Amino acid sequence: MSFLPAPLVVRSSAPLARVSGVTRLAAGTIWLIAAAAIPDAEGELVLLVAALVGLVVWSGIPLRPLPGRMWPVALAALGLGLTAALGNTADRDPTLPTLLSWGPLRLTPPGLEAGVALAVRLLVIGLTSLLVFAPADLTRLADALVQQLRVPDRLAYGSVAAMGLAPRTAADWQATGAARRLRGLSPRTPAGRLAAVPGRLLVVLVMAFRRGERLALAMDARGFDSGLPRSRFRPVRAGPLDALVLAAAIGTVLLVAVIGQLG
Amino acid sequence: MTPPAVSASGFGWRYAGRSRPALHDLSFNLEPGRLLLIAGPSGCGKSTLARALAGIVPHALPGAWMGVLLVGEGEVASTPPGVLGQRVGLVFQDPETQLVMPHVADEVAFGLENRGWARDRMLTAVPAALAEVGLAGFEARLTAALSGGEQQRLALADVLAPLPELLVLDEPTANLDPPATTAVLQRLAVLAARRDRTIVVIEHRLEALLPLADHVLLLDDDGGQVAFGSPREVVARHAGALAGGRTWPAVVPCVADAPVVLAADAVSATYPPVIAGSPRTAVDRVSFVVRAGERVALVGPNGSGKSTVLHLAAGLRRPSSGSIRLTDPDGRRQDPARLPSATLPDRLALVFQDPEVGFVARRVTDEVGGDDPSPILERFGLAALADEDPFRLSTGEQRRLSLAATARQRPALLLLDEPTFGLDERGRGRVAALLDEGRAVGQAQLMATHDPRLLPGCDRVIALHEGRLVFDGPAPAFLASPPYEPADPWRLGSVTAGDGVGVTR
Repeated sequence: MSFLPAPLVVRSSAPLARVSGVTRLAAGTIWLIAAAAIPDAEGELVLLVAALVGLVVWSGIPLRPLPGRMWPVALAALGLGLTAALGNTADRDPTLPTLLSWGPLRLTPPGLEAGVALAVRLLVIGLTSLLVFAPADLTRLADALVQQLRVPDRLAYGSVAAMGLAPRTAADWQATGAARRLRGLSPRTPAGRLAAVPGRLLVVLVMAFRRGERLALAMDARGFDSGLPRSRFRPVRAGPLDALVLAAAIGTVLLVAVIGQLG
Repeated sequence: MTPPAVSASGFGWRYAGRSRPALHDLSFNLEPGRLLLIAGPSGCGKSTLARALAGIVPHALPGAWMGVLLVGEGEVASTPPGVLGQRVGLVFQDPETQLVMPHVADEVAFGLENRGWARDRMLTAVPAALAEVGLAGFEARLTAALSGGEQQRLALADVLAPLPELLVLDEPTANLDPPATTAVLQRLAVLAARRDRTIVVIEHRLEALLPLADHVLLLDDDGGQVAFGSPREVVARHAGALAGGRTWPAVVPCVADAPVVLAADAVSATYPPVIAGSPRTAVDRVSFVVRAGERVALVGPNGSGKSTVLHLAAGLRRPSSGSIRLTDPDGRRQDPARLPSATLPDRLALVFQDPEVGFVARRVTDEVGGDDPSPILERFGLAALADEDPFRLSTGEQRRLSLAATARQRPALLLLDEPTFGLDERGRGRVAALLDEGRAVGQAQLMATHDPRLLPGCDRVIALHEGRLVFDGPAPAFLASPPYEPADPWRLGSVTAGDGVGVTR
């Protein structure tokens, strides 16, 4: 009754699952900046290979369900890469050799390079996000944000609690549609369906809001945010493994920079 | 002499924006270590009193405070919520909106962290609290993957862990099936027998709680105090107010050759997995028929596939194999999922377990619809609320409205998902009356229910267990030898504590 995918079950003993969420965020940010800044396809490919190695060796993420989850990213990368390759300004330069041509479209070496660079960049961004967010659950990420980055408890754990209500809201959306159909109010045309969306959305939002309100009351009743300093059931400490993960992220970026200089 | 654990003196409360108080003129004293049962019709302010004991009223909700309410020696209105929260634990009706953290151990620790407990203390208190509610070893489980009963026992562990002086439970079994209710009540009986903390319980279903209670506080419709005393006294003087309502009338035998309205033929349905892995089978090759003028109860534990069968019958989900068909008056068999929406209101209606998802209008009167909805509103006790927003009604009022909305159209097939959840005796009486009227004119009724008291009023019982049909026959035969462990909480032999009285029915 839900269109939210089941969460990935990640091996909790994996190195990336054992480091602090803030470490993963920092390492991921370094990679994302590098992926955006690197101009050439070779550098992006090095990052992609490093990300894949990280995925297989360090993340503990099960590989089998990944194609099912990541295909939209792969499709977007392919489509945008193809567009960049064929729409490249260099393709109009008659002195360049033609690799492929189809009607008015023509593929040249610089176009190919630009297309591959963009496609690989998008794959790197997608994989990096996966490596940052998939290895540990929301609780651990909230713990790290609160304890290491001083994010307010109310924001961090309030978000954790709110995420728990998300599947119910998805189910509510389907149920409101079903209820309208049974009451004879189901619109026949796509335009009618579109017009019915605000009404259904209102019901779902009211329910989500009230559920959130009840949850907030329950949290208050348990002494949350009452002004007393909170203690920590799950202390987060940065250790050698955190340093290693950060060093690996920075090292890969430096390696890419060196290769870029040599090339 | 020790001061009372709870003391009210002329206490009352009016929510901001409401003209009438939710509670007024409450005066009683509750000694430490005792169990107080709060009883009264739905919407009478029982939950508001629970909120006041925990300080949510007045500290988190706006309104006007009247009189005095003491918890221990502290006046609730002038005690900071943080201080009150240290001393009072509150369990709500709905497990889903009181569980905060994704994992069980973190969930129990949440309240301890809020109180600033040292980690060493939490590491021993969390397993201890889980063991106390029968959830030992559940630490690493996901709260979302627990059953409703387990979730509610977890909520109990949450509030037990910080060792509160006062435990307040607001209809802790309202959303549970009989076995889960039994499990929660057994835990409650153990706690009550120890007498080491004061317990306040709100419950519609009094039979199981009266034997545990030391005192009963009976409220009236307007949130006033009818009686406060021992269960014996209150039952003796106010038996009518406590029992209320009417019993279900005798069954009119249904004609065996009445036309079939709904036929399921080896129908199956699967769900995507909750966590990971292969899809679960919700309904497994189930076959049955429902005839015109027949009332059929659909029973089984939580998760046995009852709601799924109703959704299949309403065409809200497609079978993974097999078929489910409606038969129209001309004998044509039709797939409910393919019928045009405009024709559905005459053919079938579904009363959702959560009434809010079914609401389609912004005013109560529009929700019922038709030229003159007022007689229907009158019958369901909703006339005074005609211009209200359906979302602003109480739980009981919402359920009555969702039933009232089907009374005008009177479809050939009425599907009901737990129609008596959250209703008091009077509300149940109204449901019974509606269902009787419908059946008298040949309406077929299929009703998923946990409420064993509804079964004698049904022509037939269909029992599901783990998605399979395990019984299809007359109600008396089902009640005489149920095909699975019924664990009926209304005949609790094992749950007895305190010096209260039993109520025989």
